[in-house]
Amino acid sequence: MKLLSVIEFFGHFHPLLVHLPIGILFVALLLQWMNRNNQYVALAPAIPVILLIGCCMAFASCVTGYLLSISDDYDKSLVSWHMWMAIAVTLVSLVLYAKEKNPAFAINKKILSAGLFVLLMITGHLGGSLTHGSDYLSRPLQQIFSNDTLANATIKPIANVQEAIAYTDVIAPILQTKCYSCHNANKQKGGLRMDEISLLMKGGKDGKVITPGNADASELIKRLLLPTDNDHHMPPKEKPQLSESQVALLHWWIGNNADAQKKVKDLAQTDKIKPVLLALQTITETQKPRTDIPAAAVTKSDEKIIDSLKARNIVVLPVAQNTNYLMANFVTDSIVDKADLQLLQQLKPQLIWLKLQNTNIGDDAIMQVAQLTNLTKLDLSNTFVTDKGLAQLAAISGLQYLNLVGTKITATGVAQLKTLKNLQWLYLYKTGYTSKDWSTLKTLFPKTTIDTGGYQVPLLKEDTTLVKEPVKK
Amino acid sequence: MTQKQLHQQRLIREAEKAVMQMNTRRHFLKESAMGLGALALGSLFGSCASKGPQSSSVVFDPAHPLMPKLPPFAAKAKSVIYLHMAGAPSQLELFDYKPELMKMDGQDCPQSLLEGKKFAFIRGVPKMLGPQAKFAQHGNSRAWVSENMPHLASIVDEISFLKAVTTDQFNHAPAQLMVHTGSARLGRPSIGSWATYGLGTENQNLPGFVVLTSGGKNPDAGKSVWGSGFLPSVYQGVQCRSEGDPVLFIKDPEGMDRDLRKASIDAINQVNAEEYKTYNDPEILSRISQYEMAYKMQISAPEVMNINNEPAYIHEMYGTQPGHGCFANNVLLARKLVEKGVRFVQLFDWGWDSHGTDASLAIDLGFINKCRSVDKCITALILDLKQRGLLEETLVVWGGEFGRTPMMENREGKQNPYKGRDHHTEAFTMWMAGAGIKKGFSYGETDEIGYSAISGKVEPFDIQATILNQLGFDHEKLTYDFQGRPFRLTDTRGKVITDILS
Repeated sequence: MKLLSVIEFFGHFHPLLVHLPIGILFVALLLQWMNRNNQYVALAPAIPVILLIGCCMAFASCVTGYLLSISDDYDKSLVSWHMWMAIAVTLVSLVLYAKEKNPAFAINKKILSAGLFVLLMITGHLGGSLTHGSDYLSRPLQQIFSNDTLANATIKPIANVQEAIAYTDVIAPILQTKCYSCHNANKQKGGLRMDEISLLMKGGKDGKVITPGNADASELIKRLLLPTDNDHHMPPKEKPQLSESQVALLHWWIGNNADAQKKVKDLAQTDKIKPVLLALQTITETQKPRTDIPAAAVTKSDEKIIDSLKARNIVVLPVAQNTNYLMANFVTDSIVDKADLQLLQQLKPQLIWLKLQNTNIGDDAIMQVAQLTNLTKLDLSNTFVTDKGLAQLAAISGLQYLNLVGTKITATGVAQLKTLKNLQWLYLYKTGYTSKDWSTLKTLFPKTTIDTGGYQVPLLKEDTTLVKEPVKK
Repeated sequence: MTQKQLHQQRLIREAEKAVMQMNTRRHFLKESAMGLGALALGSLFGSCASKGPQSSSVVFDPAHPLMPKLPPFAAKAKSVIYLHMAGAPSQLELFDYKPELMKMDGQDCPQSLLEGKKFAFIRGVPKMLGPQAKFAQHGNSRAWVSENMPHLASIVDEISFLKAVTTDQFNHAPAQLMVHTGSARLGRPSIGSWATYGLGTENQNLPGFVVLTSGGKNPDAGKSVWGSGFLPSVYQGVQCRSEGDPVLFIKDPEGMDRDLRKASIDAINQVNAEEYKTYNDPEILSRISQYEMAYKMQISAPEVMNINNEPAYIHEMYGTQPGHGCFANNVLLARKLVEKGVRFVQLFDWGWDSHGTDASLAIDLGFINKCRSVDKCITALILDLKQRGLLEETLVVWGGEFGRTPMMENREGKQNPYKGRDHHTEAFTMWMAGAGIKKGFSYGETDEIGYSAISGKVEPFDIQATILNQLGFDHEKLTYDFQGRPFRLTDTRGKVITDILS
């Protein structure tokens, strides 16, 4: 164990040393090249010295590099290429040194120098690939030119999860998105390949990673559950992590003997795993778009209109950076006049959120609001809108949020909006709504969350009494 | 030719040469080697400097520091109400039900729980203390809530519990700083300051970040928990009061009418404007805008901050005590402020430090009274926001700065006179509701006795990241350049708790 630590210690000098021969040997080559010009002839004596130093450094790098390679797991074939190339660099630089010292040496100096240059490049690149990953250099380019299938792999919803095959349809997609990139045919970190079930069962160089029937004893699950900061945690902390439900699914599958063929319905399901499985039918694990912004692009609105609205104390802003969709809020302006509405009209394509709460807006002005047909959120709370004006709003087909709190509208008025299929939230607190309208509204708006408010928090005895210490006798 | 003439001639030639040199190609190339190089270097460095739009997602305009700004993403939350129970409430008597702990009640604490641990007051071997409240499951989400919060138990289906929050500070002041500023040391901006720095405020007549305290004391960490740190001072929390004048000295002094006030503010602003012309210091512009806001606030603040104009049934719902500075009044005020477009409302309620050193700090006496004083009004707040359509865009966060031990406190090795628990950093409960947070959900688990987190562990940075996420920010991009590097609220940590997002 001690010896291993010593090896590792010296191995860790490799990243430090490795840059020296590269730089030094390049200087030697550069001087050689410059030396062709008479002006720099004076530099000639330095070349062999520099070559020798470079050669020694290359040797030291080779030794430390070898120690590093046996103390850590790297891709075997890459390591061996890197090692042989590095040895070649050392030898070629030594020969080149000999040639410089003794020009009679029967070998072409130009070819030797060119060879050393190429070897240095290759060795350096291989070294870089080992530490940063083979796609380190090309990744930014790939992102420009192609859509890499492995990186962009997403989990698709399953039509009927109970009929799906547990491994192929549930487990493999998780492994594919989160594990394959380091444990595949080309790259086997820790000697583990996960892209085929037989190889996954076989395990890595430290033994099996899956103990069928005992998830808690399985190395795979243990590694997933370690704290992210732990060195043994998988996936490594800079890589995309598994969600809690994905870990639960793996745990469940391994607990069921990690079976390769059976369907989901044939495996035992606990109460805990049922909702997780069901969720596979609907949502994908990729983050849902975090916006309520329409997908279609829209042209930029006229800055002048926005400025004149701002000058009238109305808050007008894009709803987020990098979008032209706008929101308007009359938070400090309780008087909505014709000019305001006319200006808003000119923002019709962009305006999606409008807050007119606590303003004087009434049925006449609603006409104009109803023409803002791109609105998705409209707040008319504590305004003078009545059923008559409300009918106009049926024109705003994309409306998702409508707040009518504190207005005079009734259920009859709201019923006029039944054509609004996208309405998700409807607020009717402190309106003419009465509890007997509930069933009517619920049938008219089956998908809408209707909040009629009027909640009460009952007064309990405890609310007004204090707990006191029992009097000691 | 005399010596003098020769000298003169040489000077003239030299001058001519100098002029000519300016126009030669050789001179241009030679001189520009450095100059162009420097230019190129400048632009190279420029691309890695943090001033660019890629780095910070916020543009700071000193003349209008509180101008409403847009977040990088469409935000779920427009406002945040943060309810901080200063002193740290016991999770074991509220939300984290541990029947196993009951079985250990009165036994000596196992050595394995004490080895290598440090506690604020516990010394030697303390006794275990079972849950001092009865628990039941509530709502469709079957969430465990104790009898201490009967009202909150009725709305658990609106809430996402975080059962495994951890921190690394076991004293109040550093832990509070940690929760609110992302650092246990003084000098960092608070989360409300970051929010107003990033978003400004929609209502230009009110401050963007309001702080209300109750319980008779400010939090232990003092005003730094709502300070602006190195952010411009305009972003610090404005502490308001729920009794008397909402802001001290907001009324004009006797004999000064509104016009005179306006004239004097105009005069001050004019002097400041002159000063700005001379020194070009952007802080002067901030100062001018603050004077203007103060003037507008004189009218708008007393109106918004007056809870007496709320109807009686609302007062009943919240259980307010008009005329007294109490938590319930502050909670009602918070709703009114959010309704008026205030960005961040921070409430601190002091008195949750249940050590058991006296009756008011006993887990079975004073603690229950504390629970009673917040239960009804917090429940009312959630329901009231909900019925007004505001819960969809208001994030409500509840929590303390750490949790409490499953052991009974034995201060300096001696049994305390009352039942109490010491500070505990390894597991405690917080909850969030509204604004894109899952309804009726619980995230994270603690072990059988509630000592440490076993899954779904989160730290204050994660909660901060989540709050900023709901406000439309990537917490890694909301930065401010200070002392030569960009700073952010979550420092080098923080992960959005995506599991609780709907």
